[in-house]
Amino acid sequence: MTFFDDQLKKGIFQICYCNNCNNTIWPPKEICHLCHNNSEWKKSENRGKIIEFSKKDSVYFGLVEIDENIRVLGDISSESLPKIGQAVKMSVSFDTRPKYSFIVENN
Amino acid sequence: MNKVAIVGSGQTKFSKDNKNIEELLFESSDKCLQSVHNCNSNDVQGVLVSTNDNSKYLGAILSETMGIEPQISHSIEHLCSSGTNAIISAYSYISSGLSDIILVSGAESATNPGQVLEWDKSRGMFEHPIYWASMLTKSHKRKFQTTDEELAIVSAKNHKQAMDNPFAYSNEPRTISEVMNSKQITEDLRILDCSRSCSGSSSILLASEEKAREISDQPIWIRGIGQKTISASFTKNTLEEIESTRIAANSAYKMAKIESKNIDVAEVHDAFSVCELMAISELGLVTNDKSGEFVRDLFNTENRMINPRGGLIGAGHPLGATGISQTIEITSQLQGKSDKRQISNANTGLIHNMSAAGTSSSIMVLEN
Repeated sequence: MTFFDDQLKKGIFQICYCNNCNNTIWPPKEICHLCHNNSEWKKSENRGKIIEFSKKDSVYFGLVEIDENIRVLGDISSESLPKIGQAVKMSVSFDTRPKYSFIVENN
Repeated sequence: MNKVAIVGSGQTKFSKDNKNIEELLFESSDKCLQSVHNCNSNDVQGVLVSTNDNSKYLGAILSETMGIEPQISHSIEHLCSSGTNAIISAYSYISSGLSDIILVSGAESATNPGQVLEWDKSRGMFEHPIYWASMLTKSHKRKFQTTDEELAIVSAKNHKQAMDNPFAYSNEPRTISEVMNSKQITEDLRILDCSRSCSGSSSILLASEEKAREISDQPIWIRGIGQKTISASFTKNTLEEIESTRIAANSAYKMAKIESKNIDVAEVHDAFSVCELMAISELGLVTNDKSGEFVRDLFNTENRMINPRGGLIGAGHPLGATGISQTIEITSQLQGKSDKRQISNANTGLIHNMSAAGTSSSIMVLEN
């Protein structure tokens, strides 16, 4: 299991960052894809905004942009129809794959 | 660079049959060599295999079963666009003078592992292609006011066209209403908006100009090639465009010294209905906001210019075989041999094949 996956399991989304070129590496990798120096990790603030969404059965899912322009697909909890650009809070976990869940803020 | 021609082809019917990959590759390769007069196994100098299957050493296995001892043989995998990328590799071997005649064979079994890209952590639990397709569809509807009916027309048109393709997975007509009322997969996708992963095999024979003129009465020339990869992960792309297709198309047009208006017939990668609308826009055939109208007009006038063999939605999508099957269709169109599917006066044709939500695209321009 990678460091990223292991941290997800503990509920932490770690962002992979290169201090040399001020660049985020996503999907995460220990070596920067631009300068090939070692990257560093910093914790996400777990906040994002909805880029697009749809619904399967009764569950909303969508593309959400979190810190450093990182985009992930996850489920979205909302009492009403989500909106593009709406602020969401993220929680994460890991079973066989990463799981990203979002809840609309000020629901 | 030497000129390269397509001189032969063979296909199996696309189906849910549970054949193994080696059998499938052999079946279409055998038909392919039989389609060419004055060419036997000893003349073939290269064997390239296109597949997402986990089986190993398939280039050598196919060579041995076909009685070929090639100078060059290996497999090529690039998810859904493995087929065109194998043809582009064969083109490169021939145009550089390393080889004169190459067999390219693509196949997939029904249970292939090419649907999911495990590496892409950005997809989270939503790893199946229906989720990115839902994002692209919702975004297209939002930005270009595309209607559910316009999306359904893509599927109805391609199912209708597939009825005249003897190798297609589906030979059933589907009305617009049937598509719109088919099983709902997500809020933005119906089951008939989706191409089906299935088993099947397609093979094609490529030759240098000198050999092509010896063994074929009607060679079809590869005039333009473009390939562009933006990323592997889905979330690097913007939702409203398929940048890789636009860049690859422009490269192919430049190489072929043509413009989009010169395209008479095209096979485009309609993995989902929205992909056809996006592809024809990125290829420069129509603007994004008019793409729905354009396809509606094709459907109403029974114009088969786009996806005459039924596209991926109608013909099925055995990943490694798809790009080769698309190329066989355009070849047959330019030879005037497409029977009921034939476009009149087709002289220039295009193949558009892409992978993983359009993160990578391959384009070929063919001429007769």
